[in-house]
Amino acid sequence: MVTDSVQASSLSPAAISSPASQQHPLRRIAGLAVLFAAEVLVISARTPHIALQDSPGLPGLVFSLGTWKVRLLVTLAVISLLVWRSRAKRNLEAISERPVRAGVAWVWFTAHVAAILLFAGLTSILFQNRLHGAAADALVLAWVAIGVAAVVLAAFAFLPAAFWREVLRGTGEVWAYVLILGLGACVLAAYATPIWNPLARWTLRLAWLLLRPLVPGVSADPVSMILGTHGFSVQVLPACSGYEGIGLILAFTTGWLWFFRREWRFPRALLLIPLGVAAIWVFNAVRVAGLVLIGVAGAPGVAIQGFHSHAGWIAFNVVALGTCVAARRISWFTTVGADTALVPGRSEPNPIAPYLMPFLALLAAAMLAGAASNGFEWLYAFRVLAAGAALWYFRDTYRAMDWRVGWPAVALGGLVFLIWIGLEPLAGSAPTGEPPALVHVSALARMAWIAFRILGAVITVPIAEELAFRGFLMRRLISADFESVSWRMFAWAPFLISSLGFGLLHGGRWLAGTLAGMIYAWAMLRRGRIGEAVAAHALTNALLAIYVLVSGHWQLW
Amino acid sequence: MKSALFKVTGMTLLMTALGGVLLAVPVGPEIDGATAGNALMLLGGAVLLIRGRKR
Repeated sequence: MVTDSVQASSLSPAAISSPASQQHPLRRIAGLAVLFAAEVLVISARTPHIALQDSPGLPGLVFSLGTWKVRLLVTLAVISLLVWRSRAKRNLEAISERPVRAGVAWVWFTAHVAAILLFAGLTSILFQNRLHGAAADALVLAWVAIGVAAVVLAAFAFLPAAFWREVLRGTGEVWAYVLILGLGACVLAAYATPIWNPLARWTLRLAWLLLRPLVPGVSADPVSMILGTHGFSVQVLPACSGYEGIGLILAFTTGWLWFFRREWRFPRALLLIPLGVAAIWVFNAVRVAGLVLIGVAGAPGVAIQGFHSHAGWIAFNVVALGTCVAARRISWFTTVGADTALVPGRSEPNPIAPYLMPFLALLAAAMLAGAASNGFEWLYAFRVLAAGAALWYFRDTYRAMDWRVGWPAVALGGLVFLIWIGLEPLAGSAPTGEPPALVHVSALARMAWIAFRILGAVITVPIAEELAFRGFLMRRLISADFESVSWRMFAWAPFLISSLGFGLLHGGRWLAGTLAGMIYAWAMLRRGRIGEAVAAHALTNALLAIYVLVSGHWQLW
Repeated sequence: MKSALFKVTGMTLLMTALGGVLLAVPVGPEIDGATAGNALMLLGGAVLLIRGRKR
């Protein structure tokens, strides 16, 4: 059944009916974001960041700050969550519903263009000449100042100063919290470094104890931190001590307890934190032992290239989800009664499951297949089968959706293909030919792998991803009761966020992925049919498959 | 008093969370961005799924 009831909208009636001389602020912010993204892409594509490595003074600091990019993103995510959960959200909603003047303030914009050109010039001088001394430090300071000025000028060009004043006033105390949290967390992270070494020694010890009954002659040297046999051994570096998993579990369990705090019995629910930490540390030692076991068993390629990078993330997901499920199912922890959903006969259907399960099955299968690979994902078929099984399981739900397809979907699918190919130079991936692993196998095995790869790209992936991002996420961002949101319902923030999420799924091709997400969303919204988005996505992937096989640009797969 | 205690507990939890994340992402070459992205997206989706259950 296709519901047409419009339950919610992030666009207020005032914004929709505003005169042509005024515009919704979110549209202006979207324009600003597109401008910044384009400028950053163009400038960074021409910037050899590595040139500043080991430079003295401020240029060296600029290089080392590059490694904090992810931490900055995390801090921004925490800001968003704080804003989302505070009075600031209501203030921002009120501000965003007031229309602002349409058009760009050209004086500010001209000043921005001048500043960004100057910034690009200074970037080129800074990164392409290995400068040092006072002149280099002065250049870095000027570079930062001009960059900040360019951002501020663009902000004023797209939205008036009064709007930004209101935003600052409406979110005032949140910035103070974020500053305290950010600085506190950085200090905590810096002072936690000395615990890595003892942790690595304990990990080595536990992994050795686990291996001893299974592998004859296994040894562990606490000085060199080498664990294994004469045939295969690994070095347990501080980074393998398990602190990354512990950090992630700390973040996840505390976040989980905080955001759903009304559901837990405190202080006993706090026990979940040390339990999660202990579990992930033990899992990490098991991972190290598993790594040695696989290597000793005669598959060092799988151990190093597949299992090593995937097993830690699999363990993290298992422990994190185990904590969630345990917390909800054990009444000793929760105030709202144990979760009965897993008890046969007492559970109600989960409305989210038909939309998310195929996509989650796809991701889980990719992780497991990756863990068992030796650099080439021989088990790709596993992804197809896992997503296919989930789609089959929920087939009755899908029958009620609108799968009709019109010609515009075909055109949009073709358009995304052209965009994908056109933006490929920005992805930063070097052209590769057919993977050697595939070249050196029998013709039958090669054909079977390619057949499953095409089957996945054209059938299971488009259905699973469109159900998750357009069918669920975009509508869920409009209303918590996503099933009542019309398939034709449009709102800027859900449209942009779901498309960006889809873009990020594609790693280095995030820009092409985001644009693709927007186009698939538009395909669906035009007539309110999920089938249009799936068909457009499937056609893009089919054209990409043909392009890969004909041109030999296998990096696109 | 209770409210202040609640706020302090909340702030401590959030600092622990943020410190945890900063510990976890040293952005070393050993971290494969694509694998990390897939794992975090899988976890996020699974959490949504768990929260989506009707009790």
